[in-house]
Amino acid sequence: MTVVVEAPAWRMPPRWVLLVAVLSIACAEVGGASMARFKVELTRWARDGMLARPSVHGLVGVRDVDERILDEALVKFDAGLRLFHMHAEGMGLVIIATSMVAATVIRRAAARRTIIALLTTGGAGYPVGYLAWSALIPSYGLERSKTIAEWLVWVPFGTATIVALWCLAGLVAWTMISRNRA
Amino acid sequence: MPQAANNDKPRAAMIMSGPVRRPPLAVVLVAISLLALGETAGAAMSRLKPEIQRYAATRVAANAGAHGFSGSAEYDDEVRERAIFTAEAGLSFFHLHAEGVGLVLFFASTLVASAVPWRRARAALYLLLTLGGLFPLGYLAYGAAVLELGRDAGIDLAERWILTPLGISAIAGLVGLLLVAARRRA
Repeated sequence: MTVVVEAPAWRMPPRWVLLVAVLSIACAEVGGASMARFKVELTRWARDGMLARPSVHGLVGVRDVDERILDEALVKFDAGLRLFHMHAEGMGLVIIATSMVAATVIRRAAARRTIIALLTTGGAGYPVGYLAWSALIPSYGLERSKTIAEWLVWVPFGTATIVALWCLAGLVAWTMISRNRA
Repeated sequence: MPQAANNDKPRAAMIMSGPVRRPPLAVVLVAISLLALGETAGAAMSRLKPEIQRYAATRVAANAGAHGFSGSAEYDDEVRERAIFTAEAGLSFFHLHAEGVGLVLFFASTLVASAVPWRRARAALYLLLTLGGLFPLGYLAYGAAVLELGRDAGIDLAERWILTPLGISAIAGLVGLLLVAARRRA
């Protein structure tokens, strides 16, 4: 008698998780395309916003000094957009991969749902912080906009992702150990 | 046998797909751990930047000979800054590569599980891809070796003994997967 042992198959995560992941990737693509297509318009918008709030950016009215400050802020503005593009693409894929692992490996429904929710919200929310940082630079200046993005987006969503990933790694290791014992 | 209604009508071409199989849990664990390490390194880079720079400066000062300090403050400052920058770059590369290679390992090993019918070939590909998955750790060693051995010696050590062999392993695993897929298609 021949016994065919097939490798176990992946289980799909809930559909809303896949939708969020694909939406994140699509937003990243649109963001990348917009950065290239509307580079001049975006730079002009940010520059006008900064010129409208000279005290926020420490502009003194001396062209040589102000241009250096504006240049630095515009570099950061552009960096925020690029980092959003990069992180949203990557985190979309991370959500798909890690939620597949969670859906397949974690037996307890409550733990599975919690980890998938943390991975999805954390993974999709974190890159938005870079977009928020860029958008806030003209109004709040470099440091204040970074602090706002950090405490409202990066810390909560980043922490959710990191905690969920380490829990998932621990549960995969635990599953391996318990299967070896059995 | 009873026939379903309309089954004599020509049907549209159908693409048959098989189940997407899961690689061994050990491979999955390496991939997930890489992603978790990459995320944690990214957070550390952002939240602990001053502490990391201070630690790097301390290690450079403790290994002054390896960094070729001359006693001239201007020259030594430049050497120190370059070494700290390179160590930080190592951490940044680690963050970037751990996230990317973690995903590559996850998806490539899933393809191996689903598309490679031979057990030994599968095992060899898992091994190569998992070793290749450890490639980003080379950048952590890169950052640490730069601080301990000096910039050039540290980079040389990490590239020659860690990054190159693990990178070759990843490439070999991916090429192997490509060859198997091409052979199955032929």
